[in-house]
This record gives sequence, structure tokens and C-alpha cells, in this order.
Amino acid sequence: MTLAASAEGVLAAPSGGRRARGGYGRYAGGKVLGSLGSLAFVLVVNFFLFRVLPGDPARTLGRGRFSSPEQLEAFSATYGLDEPLPRQFLTYLGNTLTGDLGVSLRYRVPVADLLLDRIGPTLLLVGTSTLLAAMIGMWLGTRAAWAHGQRFDRLSTGASLTLYSMPEWWLGLLLIATLAVGFGPVPGLFPTGGLHSVDVDPWSPGGVLDVARHLTLPVLTLTLAYLADYALIMRSSLLDELGSDYLTTARAKGLRDVAVRNRHAVPNALLPATTVLALNFGFVVAGAITVETVFSIPGLGLLATEALEIPDYWVLQGAFLVASVGVILANLLANLLYGVLDPRVRT
Amino acid sequence: MLAACLLPLGLLAGPGGAAASASQGEDPVRFTVALLNEVDSFNPFLGIEVESYEMWALTYDYLVDFSTDDLSLQPSLATDWESSDDGLEWRFTIRDDVTWSDGEPLTADDLAFTYGRVLGKGPEAATWKSWLAGVTDVEATDDTTLVMTLSRPNSVLPMVPIPIVPQHVWSDVTGEQMKSYAAEPTDGAPVVGSGPFRLVEGTAGGSTYRFEANPDYWNGAPHVDEVVFRVFKSEDPAVQALVKGEVDFVEGISALQVASLEGRDGVLAQNADTPGFDEISFNAGSVDLETGEPIGDPNPAVLDPDFRFALGLALDRQQLVDTVYQGAGRPGSTIVPPGYATFHWEPPAEDLSHDPERAAALLDEAGYTTGPDGMRTLPDGSPIGTLRLFARSDSATSTDVMAYFKEWLADLGIDSEVTTVESSKLTDIILAGEFDAFEWGWFVDADPTSMLSYMTCDQRGNWSDSWYCDEDYDALFEQQGSELDPEARAEQIHSMQEMLFRDAPYLVTAYNTTGQAVRSDRFACLLQQPAGTGQWIFQQGTHTYRSIRPADEAGDCDGSTGATEASEAGADEGVGTGVLVGMGGLAVLLAAGAAVLVVRRRASAEDRE
Repeated sequence: MTLAASAEGVLAAPSGGRRARGGYGRYAGGKVLGSLGSLAFVLVVNFFLFRVLPGDPARTLGRGRFSSPEQLEAFSATYGLDEPLPRQFLTYLGNTLTGDLGVSLRYRVPVADLLLDRIGPTLLLVGTSTLLAAMIGMWLGTRAAWAHGQRFDRLSTGASLTLYSMPEWWLGLLLIATLAVGFGPVPGLFPTGGLHSVDVDPWSPGGVLDVARHLTLPVLTLTLAYLADYALIMRSSLLDELGSDYLTTARAKGLRDVAVRNRHAVPNALLPATTVLALNFGFVVAGAITVETVFSIPGLGLLATEALEIPDYWVLQGAFLVASVGVILANLLANLLYGVLDPRVRT
Repeated sequence: MLAACLLPLGLLAGPGGAAASASQGEDPVRFTVALLNEVDSFNPFLGIEVESYEMWALTYDYLVDFSTDDLSLQPSLATDWESSDDGLEWRFTIRDDVTWSDGEPLTADDLAFTYGRVLGKGPEAATWKSWLAGVTDVEATDDTTLVMTLSRPNSVLPMVPIPIVPQHVWSDVTGEQMKSYAAEPTDGAPVVGSGPFRLVEGTAGGSTYRFEANPDYWNGAPHVDEVVFRVFKSEDPAVQALVKGEVDFVEGISALQVASLEGRDGVLAQNADTPGFDEISFNAGSVDLETGEPIGDPNPAVLDPDFRFALGLALDRQQLVDTVYQGAGRPGSTIVPPGYATFHWEPPAEDLSHDPERAAALLDEAGYTTGPDGMRTLPDGSPIGTLRLFARSDSATSTDVMAYFKEWLADLGIDSEVTTVESSKLTDIILAGEFDAFEWGWFVDADPTSMLSYMTCDQRGNWSDSWYCDEDYDALFEQQGSELDPEARAEQIHSMQEMLFRDAPYLVTAYNTTGQAVRSDRFACLLQQPAGTGQWIFQQGTHTYRSIRPADEAGDCDGSTGATEASEAGADEGVGTGVLVGMGGLAVLLAAGAAVLVVRRRASAEDRE
């Protein structure tokens, strides 16, 4: 019902129809414009943010090499590092807008290629974990709130809090030491790290299975770590609803407990959890640096952290741009969705 | 029943499991190495990481090689060399039995081509040109003769560590293309090289590199079919992978990990000497290079060589090695490590010993006397103030060493403060001269020229990080650079080390080590360089890769002395650290869960009351 109305609003907006004023179209348009503004801001900040970092790539990359001052200058000249900053900025703007993200100083390959290689593993790892964590977490939270104060509530809340407070790398190492290496008579079930085995093509049917095996432990680690977020939010927002009159009404109508929970209480309690989920999806591309490190998954987060040491400006800019676009898009999507779910925000 | 249950689990474990024995059936014999860092480029004119150097060594050959025993010079592509009396012409005889992996013969033309590119103006020059200092022309007069013409003698020759690339492949790469030329397998065709292995799979920055043996290698075919490198991003998982048998070799692990692996059956672990050192460096005089005016704000005390030398006696190097380095290292002395036996100069023992009393006496003598408050003053009577010491945040060693140094300074009545910064930030601080001392380290090439050059006046504002500048030192540096008599040159290099030791811009704290471990139940015949104390891989040359063979085919390793022996299997059995850690972790988890439950139960009990 609401969805149909909003679709109409969107359609009506460009022609300036009656519903447009204060309607969904205007709201959505504003949000899109805002996002474009953020994007422009990111483009500018992106350049200067990394130029104020300490360090000079030519020096970091050359440390310990037998070279003369002239050779150092030659390096800087080769990669355009000796040009005045405003000029570098213009080059950067022009290149970025035409889709050229530059060449990595460390790897000497186009940054776009590097990012493309790394974004897949990251999306797979963090995306899967976020989805799993949200699904399991929300389910746990709902059940816990419904069984408020009972054993299930105490157990699930206690467990998710414990997992929440454990460092991700430690959880990962724990899983490696047990499930990957094996203990006692139990053999190691999963690989200790990497994305796929040495001579396996990850795109073949066998390769997909192989990748799945490699991703099991890292996904498990992240899922366990993210779980509490959703479980706790879902639990508390459902608890807020529990005393509401409409639930008493629903019960008075003689509805079964499950129906009261799933059809009346849960939909109303979903909003905060949706916000968290949407925001987290924005960060999916940014990767999960600690887990990528422990399991040696060649992801975007790891790439960016390592680029900081040089600093590898072009890789940093590219990674930051991709991550920012992810967050901006997720935000936009969340805002648009909110406008649909809760019409009050449109004004 | 149990076995039946475990069987599918074993299948699940797949090819990574211990079942993949090195020499079973028709599977290739594969030696898998865990690296802790990626290769940054397979193009020898672009890469800078040590991992990349290792890959080039597998793929390409060099003019000369270095022995495993003592790093002495050995023939490689050049079987023979001689220089004219004035050192202005070098003549190399090149082997005639070498072919590239695509079947083309390797001739002197390929060497002339490679060096020629380095002598040009492209990125090749930025990387290697210093090694060919003074060389004006390189020419192949015939297939087996290479002639170098020089404008001034260059004593580094023939120790030129530049990988020789095939002209018939690389001549197609323009200067512009070279900036990003990857030298990686394309369309399934391996990289063309003349080395003992060739790269068949892998990209720079990727996580796996696969090399196939070259059965026709002129210096003897390797005894394994493949060498595979897998990149691990942290140490613990790499060690776990070794224990599990997913990899056969780990390197770059800590002394703690070596200790945990040492008693384990089927594993051989060592702390190997590396060709480098760690040092505390002083600001020996930061100046504006154009005007000659002092820049930064060094404490007047650290500008004084006598002051710096006295502080060297306050160092307890043995304690640093025992505690900070956990025993995995050796007390340091000079900037040329003792592994380079001919070039290393060892200072008198009494000048290296921990002698705070003598340090105090020397300080008194130099005018840094103790004031009424127990703190030392400058010779003019004003207080020294607080020395600013810098440590690197990415190195626990660095921060620990500086913490000790601060204490030892306090014992002498000198106040100091340690600031921890990132390496890149430290570089900026050094260039601005805004420091009194910091902790860092260097790797040293087989020829010490590069390391010695960093202490010359010319390198201030470039690689010099102590701002040390001394005319006599520079004169000696020039002299050794064109000295053609090896003995005389070694003598000059000794003198340079002695000067540096007396002037003390650096207090060399330790010669560090790196942890390495191998599955000796699967592979044997690894060689150390230098013999007895050195590394198994990451050497000058490819000695271990060519010598290594499956444990059951090891025999006496063709009589190589000092090669590792095969050991009984058994790494998979017994309770390992991994399991203990895992069990411990589970116990903690359970305890935490129980605690939470108890607390909550108690809380709800109170609520009920």
C-alpha cells in the first residue's frame, strides 16, 4: 500500500504534480542531491587528506637501496610526485572523473585493477557475514525479548555479549587453532588462510566449493563478532514495544502468541535494526581489516592499511573513494527506504 | 565407528591436509613457503621488497654468485673476469651453455642490453644505476665477451646484483611501458628467464606465486618440481599452517615462535643471522644543505662525538639481546655485520663493554660534569635539559630499546624523554633535524659500499639519517670506491668503521636475526648462508632452492656440508600449542559465559526479593 503510493510520488515528481510538494519525490530528490554533494566533498577531501600524511613515498620505497639523490629525484619525477600540489590536484580530479584512478606506487599497476581484484573477496566475506549476523542476530533478539528474563534470554544475551567483547583477531586465531589445525583425533577441517587453494581456478565448480571452504572460518568469525549488534538492538526495541496497547489489543482479539509477535510486534521493532543493517552495509566495502589479516584474505581493508605505510597516494585515494561511495549509497538507500517505511521523516 | 565418522572429515580436509606427502604418486614435488609480505613487482627494475628480490633470483641469473660458506665471490654467468691496471676497462667471459626458458641462447648481448637499460634515464636507472657508478659503456664484443668501459675505477665490480633479463623479450618494452611493466605470466605463458625456476602463476600484490623447476638449468636441475609461495598476513596463522602441513617453510617469525617450534618432531627451527643491524642514531649536526646553517634543534651535547662515544659505554648490549631480542640476536658493534668476514672490523672489547663508570668518567673529562642537583651540565655549565629520543611505533624492539636507553641515561644523570612515532613520521623528523636520537636499523648488501655511502656528507638530506659528515671519512669512501687491490680496500673499509665507531653517530646495538622453520620430515638438504649461523632462504643466490629435496630422497645431500637432515615424521601427533591455545580459549569462553550467567541469575534473584 505505502509502496504503491510512494512509487506514484516518485513518478509524479519530475512533472511537478500535485503530490510532489512535500511528497516522496521531493524528499527523494533532496536526498539524491545531498548524496551528490557528499560525493563532491569526498573527491576533494580525498586528495588533500592523504597529502598531509607524514612520509614521502620515494623515501619509504627506497629505504635501504643503494641510490644517489639524483636517483631519488628521478623516481619522484617518474611518478609525478615533484609537481606542485595544485597541479597534482587538477590532474587527480581530471583523471578520477574520467575513471582513471592512477597507478599504485608500490605495485606499479593500475589502481582500478588492484581495487577490482580486492573488492570481490571483501564483498563476499563482509557481505555474507553481515547478512548472516543480521538474520541470526535479529532472530535471537526477537526470541530473547519474547522470553524476557527466562533462560533463553539470559543465555543468548550472555553469549552474544561475550562474543561482542572478544577481539576479532583472537576469535579468528582460536578457530584456526581448533577447526583448521585440528585437535586430538579430530583432523583440521578448514584451511588456515587464503582465498583458494594453489592450483584451483576459483571460477570452476570445484573452485567455488574450495573458496567456500576457505571462507568458512573468516565468515564464522565475523558473523559471531557482528551478531550481538543485531541481537541486542532487536531485543531492546522489541522490549520497548512489549507494553504497547496495540499488543494487548491483539492478544485480546484472541490471536495466538506467535502471530502477535511476528505480525504485530516485530514489524514495529524492525526499524532500528534496519538502520544498523543499512549503515553496516555501507561499510561492507571498507572490509574487516583484522579478520582479513588473520585469515590472509586479500581484501580492500588490508590493501588500504598497507598503502598507508608508504603512503601510496593513489591506492589510498581509490580505496577511500570506493568505500565512501559505498557508505553514501547505503545511506541514500536507507534514507529512501525510511521515507517509505515511516512517512513522518519526509517533512 | 569412530574411524567411519572421521573419514569424511579427513576428505573434507582436502589437498591442504597432511595427506599430500611431498613424494607420493605422480603429484609434483612441491615445496611451499609461507611469506609474510607480498611481492611488489616481478619486474626487477621496479620492485623494492626483499620478497621480490627472492623471486628475481629464482627467475634470472646474475653476473656473479656468492658462496654459502662465507659469501665469497663465485662465478655465475661470468666464468672469468679481469680489469685493466688502471681499472678503467673490465672484461668478462660469459658462459656459452645457458639458454633462456623459451629455448633462445643467452649471450653477452643480453647482459649488455640489461646494463645498457640501467645506464639510461628510465626507471631502470633509478633502481640500479649506483651499482654501475663510473661505467660509461657496456658492449658485447662477441657472444661470450662483455666489456665495460669506465671513467673512474669502481671497486664494487664484479659484485653487481642486477638480474639479467632476455633482450629478445624486454627490448619490446619501451621506457614509458617500463614504468608499469609487470613481467608476469600472460595467457598461460610463463615468464622467460634463465634461472633455476620460472614463474608460471601469480601477480604482484597477489597471495600465491607458483614456480616450476627448470630441468635444463646450467648449474644443475633442482630436485623439487615446484616452489610455491603463499602470503600470510600474520605470523600465528603461518606457523599453524606449518604445524598442520599446509606449508613446508615459514620465515620472518619471532624468537618466541621459534622456541615453540624447536622441540616439535618433524620440524627444524632456527634464529638465523640476517645481514643487518639495529642502531641508536644521534643527530650529529643537521644543517641546511644550501646555506650550511644549522637546522632543527639538536641538543649541543649530542653534536659532540666524545659525548656520544661515552653514551655507548652506558649501553648493556648483552642485556638488550637477552631481554628485548629474547636471546635471538647478537650484541652489535659496527655498520658492517660480522657475516661479511673480510669487510667487518671488530672494535676493542673494552670499548663495547657495559661500563657506566668509565662512561661517567669520560663525560666528566669532556666537561659534562654533575651539577648540585645530580644532573649533568654542558661544558659551559648550563643544564643539558631533556634529550628527545624517538622510537618507531611499528617495532616493539625499537620502543623497548629506547626505554632501556632512557634508564641508562638517567643513571648517568642525563634526563631524556621517549616519543613513539610511525616510521614515515620519523623520516620527516630526521630530515627536519628535530631530534636528539632515535632507534632504527639497516640491511646491508653483500658489498658494503651502499651502507658506507649512507654516512657520507653527500647523503645528508638523502639516505643519511644521522647528518654525520666528515671529510676524512668521505676521502676514504672515495678511495675504497676505486681501490682495485681487495686487501687494501678491506683495510680502508676497516678504517671507516673505526672512524664511525669513535665518532659514534650510530651506536650499533644488535645484529638481529630472523626466525625460520622447515618441515624436516618432508624436506631436507637446506643450506645456511653464511654456514652455521645464516638463513635457509632469502640468501644471496638460490642455493637452498637448488639443493633441497624430499626427505626420503635426501641421502647425504650430494655431500653438501652443513645441509639439514631429514627427520622422523610426527608433527601431526601429540598435543600442540595450537590445541592448547584453542583449549585455553574455549575454557575462557566457557568461564566467561558461566560468569555472565551467574551475575545475571544473582541480579534476577535480587529482583525477585
